[in-house]
Amino acid sequence: MNADSPGWKRWLPVVHRGQSNRMHRRTVYALAILLLLVQLPHAVNLPIWVSLLGGSLVAARLFLLQYPGNWILNKILSPLSVTCIAISSAFLLRWDFGYLIGRDPSVAFLFILVAAKFAEVRRSSDATLLLCLAAFLLLTQYFYSQSIIAAAITLPGVIALGYALSILRDPANPANARSQLRLIMTLLVQGLPLAAVLFLVFPRLSSPLWSLPDDATATSGLSDSMSPGSISELSQSDSVAFRVEFNGAPPANHQLYWRGPVLTEFNGRSWHESRQNLESTRHYQGPASNLTSYSVMLQPHKQRWLFALEAAVGLPQTQHSSTNPNQPAPTDAATDTTTNKPQGAPGRFFSDGQIKADKPVTQILRYYQSSVLTDAVTPKHYPLKETLYLPGRNTRSIAFAQELYKTFDSEKAYAEGVMEFFNRESYRYTLKPGLLGDRPVDEFIFDTKAGFCEHYASAFVVLMRAADIPARVVTGYLGGEMNAGYMIVRQSDAHAWAEAFIDGQWHRFDPTGAVAPMRVERSLAAALPEEATQSGLSRTRHDWFRKAQLRWDALNHQWQRLIVNFDKASQSRLLDKLGLNKPALWQIAVVILAIAAIWSYLILGMPGMASRQQSQAERQWHRLTRLLKARGLVRLNDETPQEFLNRATMIWPKHSERLNRMQTHFTAVRFEPADRATLSQLSKQIDRDFLALWFSLRPRKRQSTKPVNLAGIGNR
Amino acid sequence: MSAAWKQRLFRTRPEDALPITVEHQRVYIVPTKRGFAFLFALLLMLIASINYSLSLGYALCFLLCGLFAATLLHTYSNLAGIRIHAIDSTDCFAGEKARFTVRLSEQGNRPRQGITIRTRAGESTGKFVIGNNTQTIALDISTKARGQIMLGRITIQSDWPLGLWTCWCYLHVPASCLIYPQPEADAPPLPGTTADNPGARPTNNTQGDIGGLRKYQRGDALSLIAWKSAARGLGLQVKMFESSNEHGKTILNLQQTGLVDLEAQLSRLCAWVLQAESQQCEYELSLAGSDTATNSETAQMTRTLQALAMHGQLT
Repeated sequence: MNADSPGWKRWLPVVHRGQSNRMHRRTVYALAILLLLVQLPHAVNLPIWVSLLGGSLVAARLFLLQYPGNWILNKILSPLSVTCIAISSAFLLRWDFGYLIGRDPSVAFLFILVAAKFAEVRRSSDATLLLCLAAFLLLTQYFYSQSIIAAAITLPGVIALGYALSILRDPANPANARSQLRLIMTLLVQGLPLAAVLFLVFPRLSSPLWSLPDDATATSGLSDSMSPGSISELSQSDSVAFRVEFNGAPPANHQLYWRGPVLTEFNGRSWHESRQNLESTRHYQGPASNLTSYSVMLQPHKQRWLFALEAAVGLPQTQHSSTNPNQPAPTDAATDTTTNKPQGAPGRFFSDGQIKADKPVTQILRYYQSSVLTDAVTPKHYPLKETLYLPGRNTRSIAFAQELYKTFDSEKAYAEGVMEFFNRESYRYTLKPGLLGDRPVDEFIFDTKAGFCEHYASAFVVLMRAADIPARVVTGYLGGEMNAGYMIVRQSDAHAWAEAFIDGQWHRFDPTGAVAPMRVERSLAAALPEEATQSGLSRTRHDWFRKAQLRWDALNHQWQRLIVNFDKASQSRLLDKLGLNKPALWQIAVVILAIAAIWSYLILGMPGMASRQQSQAERQWHRLTRLLKARGLVRLNDETPQEFLNRATMIWPKHSERLNRMQTHFTAVRFEPADRATLSQLSKQIDRDFLALWFSLRPRKRQSTKPVNLAGIGNR
Repeated sequence: MSAAWKQRLFRTRPEDALPITVEHQRVYIVPTKRGFAFLFALLLMLIASINYSLSLGYALCFLLCGLFAATLLHTYSNLAGIRIHAIDSTDCFAGEKARFTVRLSEQGNRPRQGITIRTRAGESTGKFVIGNNTQTIALDISTKARGQIMLGRITIQSDWPLGLWTCWCYLHVPASCLIYPQPEADAPPLPGTTADNPGARPTNNTQGDIGGLRKYQRGDALSLIAWKSAARGLGLQVKMFESSNEHGKTILNLQQTGLVDLEAQLSRLCAWVLQAESQQCEYELSLAGSDTATNSETAQMTRTLQALAMHGQLT
C-alpha cells in the first residue's frame, strides 16, 4: 500500500495523550509512604519545626483523601495557601539559620517544598516531579551522616520509590502489594552488580565542582584554645576521634602522643594558637630511621589539624607511595627543604610543628603517615619570642620558678626538677578539680593542687617560661585502644602536655605522667577508675556490652575504610591492582559497556526471564530453514513444516530418514506435552541430526557458486 | 532511506505473515517521559555526590541506575516472546466499530503484564495480561465510510514493570475488514411490500414486464406512475412490473431506490437487504461490476452486503 510514500517520517511512533489526569487514590498512598520514609532520616538533622511542618503537610493530604469534602482542609491545601506556606517557611529558615544560601537551609527548604508539593498535588502528571524530588531528598541525608545506619535507613526509601513507580505506571492495576514489592526487590538485586561496578570504576574527582559557602556548624574534639576544664570536659565523651591502622606492631602506650593543636599564646588564663604560625617545612630534621608507618581515618571534626605521632617525618599522603607500599616513608625524608606542597598531600606543615589541612575536615579523611617516635625534636628555626611571653598575672608562680631555677645548674635539670616537684608534692589527678579564679596557675600550684592534664601542662609551661626557657602547650590525644587489628582513639583520650626548648631541641614533658603514671602507661580509665566510672566511661563493667560495642566499632571502621572513604586514591589503587593504570575515559566506558553486556546476558538468561524450553525447538526449526534456504530450498509462506520437509526429502532423498526423524521430533517437542527429560533428549537428537545434515549438505568446492533455485521443485 | 530499511524499521508495508513471535529484531525500547525525568534526577544526584564527594551518594545513585537498567531488561523480556497467532476481523456497517480480534499467547511460562495494542489512528485496547493459553484481544476501530479498511500497522506496547521504559514492536499484517454502507434510517419499505403487509411478496420492480397496476402510495417513484391510465381518469396508479424472475426472487438495484447520490442509494439498498433478510424473502442484488449470484457458501446477505460495500471501489 504505502510502499514508497515519500514522507516516511509519518511512520514514526505516534504519541497519544493518555487518560484522565486525576491522581488515583493508590498513587496518593504510595507517594505518602515514600515521602514519610524519605522524611524520617532527616528528622534528626533538621530543625524540629521543619520536620513537623513537613510531616503534618503529608498527613493533611492523607486526611483530605479520607474526607474530600472537608472545607478547611481544601482551603489549607489549595495551591495558593501551600505556596504561601512554602514562601513563609523560606523566611523562617532564613531567620532560623541566619542565612539561606548554604547546604543546610537548602536541604531544609527542599524538605518543605517536597511536602508542600505533595500537599497540593491533584494531577497525576505531578507525581513524576514529586518522585524525582523525593529521590534527591533521599540523597541529601548523606550530607549529615554516612554511617551504616544512614545507609540502612535509605533502603526502605529506595524500595518505596520503586513501589511508587510501579503504582504510578498503572494505578488501577489490582496486583497485590506483596508481589510488586518482591518484583522491586528482584530488580534491585539484579541491578546490584552493575551498581557495584559503577561504584568502583566511575571516575572520582579529587576536588569539588564548585563550593557553596561553608556552613557554620559545631565543631567536635579539640579546639584552638585551652582553658582550665576544656579537656576534662572532652574526656567525658566516648565518641571516636580517629582510627589508626599500623604497619606492624603498634607502639607502646606511652609513645602514642598524637600531636594536635599547639598552643603558644597565653593570656594568664587560657591558651591560644599562635597568630604568627606560618607555613613551614617539616618540624623534625633528624634522620628518618626506625619509622612507624600507619594510616589514620580521621572523623570529620570541622577543624583543620591532622594528627600524627610525634615526630612526623613527612606530610600525610592520601595514598600509599607506589614505589614501596610496605614502607610508605617519604623518599625525600632527609632532603626535603622546600615548602612546596607535594601532590596528594591533604595538609602542610606549620612552624610550630602542626600539620594542618587546607580546609576544615568535613568528611572522613584517610591519610598515610610515618613518624619517628621521639620526644626530642631539633627544629630548623629558633623559637619565636612568643614562647617566652608571660602576662604578669600569675606572680607567685613566676617568683617560685625563679627561685627554683637557681637551685639547678642546667635548664634540663631544672625541667626535670619541676617534673619531680609535681611528683613529690601532693598533687592530685582528677577530672573535678574545682573552679579556679583569676590567677588559675597560681591557685592550682599552691592552693588546690588538684587538676587534670591541662592544669599540669599549663603550670609546667608557665614555670618554664618564668625561667626564660621557651615552652608551649601541645594538645592532642594520648594512647588508644586496640580493636581487631586497628586502634580506636576516642575523645576521652584527649590530652595536653608541654614542650620546652632546651639545648637546641624541643623536648616533650608530660607533667601528668609525673602525677598519674597510669594515664600515660595505660589509659584515663586506668588512672581514674572511680571518676571514670562515674562519668559514664564504664569500660570495665558490662563485659558483653563492651564487646558488642567494639564489634560494632570494628564494623564501622571497615565500612568507613572500604565504602565511605572510597575516593580517587582508593580507586586508582584498585585499578592498579587490576592492571589498568590510569585508564582513559573511553577505556572506562568500554569496561562499563562490556560488563553491562555480560550482565544483561546473564539476567536475561535467568529462569523466569527467558523461554528456554519452548523457544529452543523454534530456534532449531529456524536454524533448519536457514540452512535449507542457503542450500536453495525456500520455505513458502503458506507451507506447513511437514510439507516443507516433504519437499526437502524429495530433493535430498539421501537424507530422508534424518529429515523425517527431525520432523517427528519437532512435532513432539512443539505439540505433545512431555516431561523435561524427554524434551531435552528429543532436542539433543534434533541437534545431532542437524549437525549431520549441515555437514553433508555443506557446499562442495566449486560445485556451484550460487545456490540453485529449487523453490519451485517439488512444490504442490 | 531505502524501502527495505523503512520496512525493517517502521513496518510501512503490510508484509508480516502470521503467526509471528516477537523477537529482539523488532522490539524497540526507549525511556518514557518519566524515565527521562528519573534519569535527570539521577544526574542531579550524581552531581551532588561528586561535589560533596559523598560515597554513599554515589552508591545510592548507582543503585538506582542498576534498578533503571534491570527495568530495561524486564520491560524487554515482558514483550519478547509474545506470539501473535492470527488477526481476524468482523465486517460491520459504517458508523459502527469494526472489530479486529488479535489472537495471541505468550511463550515463556510467565504472564506478560500491561500489554496494550494500538493502531496508528490511536485506538487502543486497555492494559491486559497475556497468559500461556491463547487468548483473544478485541481491537475496535471506528468507521465512517463504507469500503474496505486495512488494519494498518499495529503497535504492541508495554511499560511494565515500573513505567520507566516503554517497549513496543510494530506489526503490519494485511488484515482488512469490510465496512458495509450505513443502512438508511427510516428507509421506505422493501419494494413490493407495504408497511402494513410486510409478509407480502415484493412486487415493485422496475425491471421485467409490466404485470399490472396498483394504487399509488406515497414514496413511489414518479417514473413508476402509469401516466397513461391517469390520463384516462383512473386516478394515480403505479406500474407493477413482473417482479420476480424465473426463480421468484426480488431483484434489487440502484435505480429502484429513486435517489441520486450513490452513497444514499447504497445506503437504502443496504436497509432493504436487511429488511428482506428479516422478512425472509428471497432477493437478489443486481449491481454493475459485481456478481453476487456466485455459487459460494457464504450467506447471501453477507455476499450482498459485501458487494454493496465494495461497489465502485478498487480492491
